[in-house]
Amino acid sequence: MLIEQSAYANRWRRVAPAAKGVFALAGFVAAFAAATPRAAIAVAALICLVTLAGARVAVLRYLRVAAPALFFLAISCLSLAFSVDVDVSASAFDLTPGGLQRVAEVGARSLGALASLLFLVLTTPLIDLIALLRALRTPEILLEIMVLCYRMLFVFSAAVHDTLTAQAARLGYATNALALRSLGGLAANLTLQVWQRASDLHVAAQSRNNDGPLRFLEPTFANGRRDVQVAAAGGGALIALALLLGRGCA
Amino acid sequence: MHIMEGFLPIEHAVGWTIASAPFVAYGIHAIKKRIAENPEQRMLLGVAAAFTFVLSALKLPSVTGSCSHPTGTGLGSILFGPAAMAPIGLVVLLFQALLLAHGGITTLGANVFSMAIIGPFAAFALFRLAQKLRLSFALSVFIAASMADLLTYVTTSLQLAWAFPDPVSGFAGSFVKFAGIFAITQIPLAISEGLLTVVIMNAIRRFNPQELKAMKLVSRSEVNA
Repeated sequence: MLIEQSAYANRWRRVAPAAKGVFALAGFVAAFAAATPRAAIAVAALICLVTLAGARVAVLRYLRVAAPALFFLAISCLSLAFSVDVDVSASAFDLTPGGLQRVAEVGARSLGALASLLFLVLTTPLIDLIALLRALRTPEILLEIMVLCYRMLFVFSAAVHDTLTAQAARLGYATNALALRSLGGLAANLTLQVWQRASDLHVAAQSRNNDGPLRFLEPTFANGRRDVQVAAAGGGALIALALLLGRGCA
Repeated sequence: MHIMEGFLPIEHAVGWTIASAPFVAYGIHAIKKRIAENPEQRMLLGVAAAFTFVLSALKLPSVTGSCSHPTGTGLGSILFGPAAMAPIGLVVLLFQALLLAHGGITTLGANVFSMAIIGPFAAFALFRLAQKLRLSFALSVFIAASMADLLTYVTTSLQLAWAFPDPVSGFAGSFVKFAGIFAITQIPLAISEGLLTVVIMNAIRRFNPQELKAMKLVSRSEVNA
C-alpha cells in the first residue's frame, strides 16, 4: 500500500499524530470555510506544499495516491455541470445554468479536503491514528475491531495474492466465466479462514490469560506539546488565509 | 464507488453523520451483547472487517466486459447480521479512506448510511423474505446480494441528488442523472456480485456447512442434502 509506505518513510514520522491531526482538521475547516474557489484552491495548494516540502513525501507517490480520487472528482464535477430534463424524451442533456460556478466551488472544496486527508494519511501510520482515536475516547469495541482488522488485512492480502497467482497459473482467469468461478473459490476459501483465524486468535489470547479487552502499549512522541502548538498555529493561519482570500474576492 | 472527500456540503456531511450514528451505536451495543454471550466473537468481528476490506479490493469481472469491486455488504450481512455490519462497515470505510484515499472522512457518515446501513439491512430483509417464500437458497442469496449492491448505489444517488438538486429539473432530474450514471456500471456489477456471492455461499455450504448451520442460515435437511 503506497499510503502506508509513505506514512512510515516521511520526515515527520516521529511528529506527534495529534499535531498532524490538528493541522489536517484545520485544513478541512479551511476548505469548507473558503468563500471562493480561489481561496479553497490556495488552501489545497498550501497543504500540498506542506506535505511535499515539509514532510518530504515523494511527488510521484503523492500523484499516484491522488490520481484515482482526482479521476472520480472529474467525473463527479462533469455530472454537476450538466442537467437532465426529465420531461423531455430526447436530447435532454444541457449545460446547467450556473453549473460551471457550482463545479468550481465543489471541485475546489473537494481538492482542499482531499489535500488535508492526504496530508494526514501520507504522514501518519494507521496504527498511530488508531492510538489518537483511543486518546479521543472512541468506543473500545470499535478500536479493537480496527486493530484486529489492521493486523489481519495484511494476512488476508498475502493469502489473496498467493491464491490469485496459483489460480492464474492454472488459467483460472482466462475467461469471464472462469474468473467468476475462481473468484468465488478464492472468496469462499477466505470466508472459511475468517472462522479458523478468529478461533486461532482467541485460543492465543486465552493462552496469555486474556480476560476480555485487548490492551496495547501507547507509542510515545517527544515534544508532543510543542508539535501540537506549532500545528495549531499553522492550522489557524490556514483558516485565516481561507477567510481573508474569500473576503478579498467578495 | 463512494462519495469522495469534501464533495458534500457541510450541512449534508454533518446530517448524514447524525443519521448514521444511532445505527452504529445500536450495532456497537449488539456486538457488546454478542461478545458477552460468546467471548470468542471478539476476534471474529475484527477478522470479518479485514475480510470485508480485502473482499472490497478484489477485481470483479462485470458482465459489460469491464471490471469493478464487490461491496461485500450482502455477504457480510447474511453471515454476520445487519446490526454488526454497521460498525464493521464504518471501520472498513474508514480504512478505505485512510489506507487507499477512497471515500473520505467528511463523507464517512453518508457512505456509512448507504453502504453499511441500507445495503446490509436490505440484504438481510430480502434474504429472510426469500427464505420465507421458500425460494431456493441460491436464489435467496442472489436476490439479497445483488439488491444490497443496487440499493447502496440508489441511496448514494439520492444523497447526491439531495445535495445537488438540478437547477432546471430539481431533485427528480438530479436523481435521474446520478442514478443513470451509476446504472451503467452498477446494474452489471450487482448481477456479478449476486452471482459471486452465490458461488461463495455454495462453496461454504459444500466444504463448511457446520458454520452456516450454527448461524441458522440453512436448515439441517439442506446441510444433509
